[in-house]
Amino acid sequence: MRIEVLFPEYCSLFGDLFNVKYLQDCLPEAERIDVSLRDEPELKGEGLVYLGPMSERTQERVIKKLMPYRDRIRELIDSGTAFLLTGNAMEVLGSYIQCEDGSRIEGLGLLPVYAKRKMMRRHNSVFLGDWNGGEVTGFKSQFTMAWPMEGAKGLFTVKKGVGLNKKCPYEGLRVNNLFATYLQGPILPLNPCFAKSLLEAMGAPGVKLAFEEEAVEAYRARTADFHAKVR
Amino acid sequence: MKRTPYFYLVLFIAKLTRRLLLMLGRNATNFPGELAIWLCKSFIGRMPKPEKVVCITGTNGKTTVANLVEDVLDRTGADFYCNRNGSNVYSGVASLLISNSDWRGRPTKKLAVFELDERSSNLILPYMRPDLMLCTNIFRDSYKRNAHPEFILDFLNKYIPDGVPMILNADDMMCSGLKPGNPRTYFSIAKQPGDGGGSRNIVQDVPACPKCGGELEWDFRRYHHIGRAVCKECGFASPRAEYTVTELTGTDMQADVRGRTCRFPLANSAYINVYNSLAAIALLCELGLTPETIAGALGSIGISATRYMEEEANGRKAILHLAKGQNPVACSRAFENIRDYPGKKAVILFLDDFFDAQHTVENISWLYDADFEFLADQSVVQLIAAGTRHWDVYLRLLLAGVPAEKIDHMPNTDGAAEALRTEEPDSVFILYDVYTISLAEDTQRLVMERLKKEAAKNAD
Ligand SMILES: [Zn+2]
Repeated sequence: MRIEVLFPEYCSLFGDLFNVKYLQDCLPEAERIDVSLRDEPELKGEGLVYLGPMSERTQERVIKKLMPYRDRIRELIDSGTAFLLTGNAMEVLGSYIQCEDGSRIEGLGLLPVYAKRKMMRRHNSVFLGDWNGGEVTGFKSQFTMAWPMEGAKGLFTVKKGVGLNKKCPYEGLRVNNLFATYLQGPILPLNPCFAKSLLEAMGAPGVKLAFEEEAVEAYRARTADFHAKVR
Repeated sequence: MKRTPYFYLVLFIAKLTRRLLLMLGRNATNFPGELAIWLCKSFIGRMPKPEKVVCITGTNGKTTVANLVEDVLDRTGADFYCNRNGSNVYSGVASLLISNSDWRGRPTKKLAVFELDERSSNLILPYMRPDLMLCTNIFRDSYKRNAHPEFILDFLNKYIPDGVPMILNADDMMCSGLKPGNPRTYFSIAKQPGDGGGSRNIVQDVPACPKCGGELEWDFRRYHHIGRAVCKECGFASPRAEYTVTELTGTDMQADVRGRTCRFPLANSAYINVYNSLAAIALLCELGLTPETIAGALGSIGISATRYMEEEANGRKAILHLAKGQNPVACSRAFENIRDYPGKKAVILFLDDFFDAQHTVENISWLYDADFEFLADQSVVQLIAAGTRHWDVYLRLLLAGVPAEKIDHMPNTDGAAEALRTEEPDSVFILYDVYTISLAEDTQRLVMERLKKEAAKNAD
């Protein structure tokens, strides 16, 4: 089992790399490959490819870096390789990012979504959504809002908080075993049910999570708090 | 900017409001300024300024540095005012300009020292050009307000006026690169015994050369991105400093001040405090004070009483330590200080955001950027996590490698002191946020009572 982490030195702004650390704790025999932005990605197609949130300037560098691998990434998505994209990483694989001055940054064009960026309007919110019969909790803190395009399939159904944009009934995107969400930070340790689904997509079904009982207790307490406090 | 009759009317109303508030025994640190800006958007720009304006900003340490600067100025009899105990956002700055002026707005003091929140710089700096600007460091901070450090860097670069002399941290490649065209002075702590090459921290905000993205070769990396490096690709390097600490003891430091060797007393030799003292010294020297005057004044000052307070009974201590919530770097520094503190330690963690805990579910992602791993040290004998998010803190501690039997956790903060196992620790740290100071003080009192009882029991 391989976990390929793309550009971890730049792409972890909100504690996001702990998603990878948590997977390693769950799969002690997994091999973690950190790919620096100075190096070339492997994209072997086994296990998981992870990309976390990054600054706006880094987004452009990452798009440039991955553009030559566009077809390879498409192949991997089509053949069911697991991907986890958190925060604005989704925009890298999306259609384009529209900036305030009207200019556009073209993405890899692999996901049916585009984003609009407003640097003086940071969006902060808390999120509760449906996932696979259970619930997922998370947090958003971002400069963009996203709009799904034709053929898009949502990841989480919004119950509380904001989806891809304020009117969108769902958060995130799913294509085969690619999971993309704006929820930032350590979504895997915070959401045992989602962590299990991802492990299954990676080809490790039924794995016991690291500190599973405690993670479930923490998740239950947080979910209850969401229901009690968040409208 | 022109002072119109309307401006004088607004000033008059604001001053009257301030008088009224003070007469009623109310707080006037923000409202008069807020009102003035509401009535006249360009109020700060139109208000006459003191002869010299100094601004202190940066992610961590700005309050401590501002307090130190002000304490020294106080002791040297300088004619100045500052926003201590006030607000570092624009309404607070406007309120200060109002309260330190006569009825026509003319300043009553020669020098003003403002601590300035980075995120408020767009509302202040375009209207009040500083004569000197100090930036302590740039790190990731609250995700909600500060987004990410590149955003803050761009923000400061945009709003700090060209030409303003800067005092910058030479050991922070992001901070030292601020306003590259402005005249500048740097401060630095030279490599010390124990300064290594590898990063032990989760947060690394300068992962590569800020100029070209090339690989950095670190001479040493003290913590996070604080250290000195040179780029293997383009040669971009940490700048040489005019103010350099060369040697540290527990109680003082030796520094090279523009080529002269000087000694300054230190209240606390943890690196963050050394940086804060050094930044204050550099600023005061640039304001024209002599190193001797500064050293003399520093000798009579402890570090700000609200940030680090300890009480002792029978050789055992209860220590209050500020650990700003939502700020992973500030918390990581606190955790490392605790690990390095001598003896066996117990730690009470009040990490919840005070406001979020009441109204919503706090974004706890930051727990996963903070180095809880420092607390998984043999010398830390007990950890008590108390507050709404206690389960989340508990999980984070487990993932950091702290054995479950060392951790107690509870929703109710009142129960924290009671959960302490008093036999073991030599010191009890109570970590708190600025808004939970009274809770921390109450807990400290309870802890002291328990430590004293334990001592009495042992004496029997
Ligand atoms: Zn370089």
